[in-house]
Amino acid sequence: MIFNDFTQTMILSELEDAVGRENCSVKPVDKITHSVDYFWLPRMWADRGLNMPEADVIVSPKNAKEVSAVLKIANYYKLPVTTWGGGGGTQGGALPVCGGILLDTKRMNEIYDINEQGMYIECGTGSIYKHIEWAANERGYATMHYPSSLTCSTVGGFLAHRGIGVVSTKYGKIDDMVLKMEVVLPNGDIIETSPAPKHAAGPDLNQIFIGSEGTLGVITKAQMRIYNQPEERRFRGFLFKDLTDAFNAGRELLQKFKPSVMRLYDEAETSTLIKKIVGVSKPGAFMNVAIEGVSEIVEVEQKIMLETFARYGAEDLGSEYGEKWWKEKITFFYPGHMMDLPQMFGTMDSIAPYDKIEKIYWAMKEAIETNFPMARFIAHFSHWYEWGAMIYDRFIVDDVPSDPHEALRLHNAIWNCGVRTAIANGGVVNDHHGVGMKLGRLMKEQYGPAMQVFEGLKAALDPNRIMNPFKLGL
Amino acid sequence: MLISQKSKETIDACRFCWMCRHICPIGNATGQERNTARARALTLSLVERGAVRLADVIDNVYECALCGGCTNNCMTGWDPVKFVKEVRREAAMNDETPEYINRLIDNIESTGNVYGLTASPEIDKLCAALPTVSDTLLYIGTDTRYKAPQYALDAAAVLQKGGVGFTVMRDEPDSGAALDFLVGETEETRETAKKCADALRSYKCVIVLDPADIKLMKHEWREWGIYPDGCEIVTFTSVAVKLIDDGNLTPNRLPVATAYQDSFALARDLDDINDGRMIVEACAELREMLLNRKELIWGGNTLMAEYMPDVIDKVAKNRWANAAHVGAKLLCVASPSEYAAMSKVKPDDMEIMSVPELILASI
Repeated sequence: MIFNDFTQTMILSELEDAVGRENCSVKPVDKITHSVDYFWLPRMWADRGLNMPEADVIVSPKNAKEVSAVLKIANYYKLPVTTWGGGGGTQGGALPVCGGILLDTKRMNEIYDINEQGMYIECGTGSIYKHIEWAANERGYATMHYPSSLTCSTVGGFLAHRGIGVVSTKYGKIDDMVLKMEVVLPNGDIIETSPAPKHAAGPDLNQIFIGSEGTLGVITKAQMRIYNQPEERRFRGFLFKDLTDAFNAGRELLQKFKPSVMRLYDEAETSTLIKKIVGVSKPGAFMNVAIEGVSEIVEVEQKIMLETFARYGAEDLGSEYGEKWWKEKITFFYPGHMMDLPQMFGTMDSIAPYDKIEKIYWAMKEAIETNFPMARFIAHFSHWYEWGAMIYDRFIVDDVPSDPHEALRLHNAIWNCGVRTAIANGGVVNDHHGVGMKLGRLMKEQYGPAMQVFEGLKAALDPNRIMNPFKLGL
Repeated sequence: MLISQKSKETIDACRFCWMCRHICPIGNATGQERNTARARALTLSLVERGAVRLADVIDNVYECALCGGCTNNCMTGWDPVKFVKEVRREAAMNDETPEYINRLIDNIESTGNVYGLTASPEIDKLCAALPTVSDTLLYIGTDTRYKAPQYALDAAAVLQKGGVGFTVMRDEPDSGAALDFLVGETEETRETAKKCADALRSYKCVIVLDPADIKLMKHEWREWGIYPDGCEIVTFTSVAVKLIDDGNLTPNRLPVATAYQDSFALARDLDDINDGRMIVEACAELREMLLNRKELIWGGNTLMAEYMPDVIDKVAKNRWANAAHVGAKLLCVASPSEYAAMSKVKPDDMEIMSVPELILASI
């Protein structure tokens, strides 16, 4: 088909028929606002006054039925479909790099059920997570999913890239928080995953679509867990001599119980961001821990924590720093506090077992600082398990090439270096920001022949390859 | 664009930040990505860089209610409202204002009010029944006069029952609030406001019914150097609270769970989060909505309903849902314009009253 004004209008009229004319837009303002997400490269591109690739049409369906209709049209005409939730992703996963249809999920924001017996909220995946938190709060519950992007991002966005919040060590990642999902497959079929997630009825369908970043279908509805509000949440700040002591102390503590917040900052981040926002100015590695739940249990857990950390020489800084951090935990991410243009920056988060995580930290630090002497490297470790932890390492470059193409090349070279170092030392390509366009090229290096499993799923479910092309390495 | 350096800095700060998305009443109603401070800032930053034409994005600048939810929510103090107002002024200066906005501006020029209406029989009748001379004026405002006249009649009745002597101007001049909303601070806006300020100088006390008017008087009028010094300008709610406190009005609490819809102009711009709330507590059983006081979610107005009525209906319905969630059966509203917008989509199983109406019902 030749795509000219006639054929485009023909297709547009079909999409309008599917979702309503008022929910289809070809206006410049809608195309522009969907062309830049939180990924540094499009931000830099826009900052230089350059245009990013735009979708041809923005559609905003209300439910799975309308999504299904859109995908059937897209398949018929073989048009790319990029799903957009809040647009706050850092990996370029929502960028419509091939044009075509941009499917914005935010009209799918209905809260269908607040089920106090089943302890879940069933909602459309276009719901802003903060809104379902409000709904839970009104009934005296909490979602316990508190990422910095809580107010920006949608339920579907968090599911699509496997997000995580600051109390994850106790309550888990987004993939631990979902019970059941409704998904529209690329061919338009509407499916439901199993009624409960823990079963022996084959592989978990939830986990096939969680993290698939819109490449295998569109998640349209989800049952997300809610939790009792804790009777209390206690904070404690500690200063360790170095990261090794802190890791040993943290690993030992995790064998005994799970704190909710557990954040360890390397000396560079302790002396910069933490000093600026929280006020800790001593040398060493700062760790902020929160324990919460039933008061009697919290009391016991605090005793265990103080005894354990004392054996590793941690200085007890009391509760003040932790409380301040909790109050300011989102402030870090506001303009004026967060790294911002014209700086170049990125978060190369990875995850590994305890026997590898510190090694990854030192290897990445050395690789970045040696190969890119203009880059500063800071890191913290903010999500912990009985077996390991994630590393949230960041690079910052103040003097960025004025040529945007050179800036792009430098950016990608730093990423290649950092992530390849993490992989080489036993880490995973990403912990909780996803892959998107930014890291797609590194997926094959991570998975090797295992990549054929993802590719096989893609080929079977999306033979026309219309769903979010050039993301996730697919 | 000829906008302030501060606005340019705010645009560049907000263009990649979504932190206030959840609080925007328009964005929550439409689900459209463009209805965020981030989207508005991004597109305007591209206008500033010459990559996009203002004409291509100006409609979106008019989709902002200027309610200040984003500003109030910003942990680092950026103020998207400021750049939106300055860009509206810039559009007006360059004849890039959308046609549907020009129509409203033309209404102000031809009839003195944004709605283009020429008569308000209810208010005329009220004026006829009141003394023509008094040192106290009840300033009704355009939105009340033409879109919620009963609000004014009830307010007048409250003052009368409280023993307050006052008058109402039959040819009340416009405060400039509508023009300030549509085109920001232009010469025309200031002229309109000055005429009103001059007309108020002869009164010792002006009781202002509409929070949007008194916000302009207390903030912009002062900035523009036209505030009528020597004239005490107060909110209707503050006067009503005093009447209750002094025992001039003695409400009996109605046994009705009542949510209070804060006015953003009162709560956010004038730091008044107590007066209306105290009235509701005195007259009924206050049931706080989850988002209240400065955290309020705006419930619509009549001015934006002139050019995006379906969206304003959705905004109002969303706020009704918030009231229903806390078990309220009655919603009490402090802004006449918001009262009119929310009345239009009132659920069958709930009731709505203005602040003065609630007082009258309880005494």
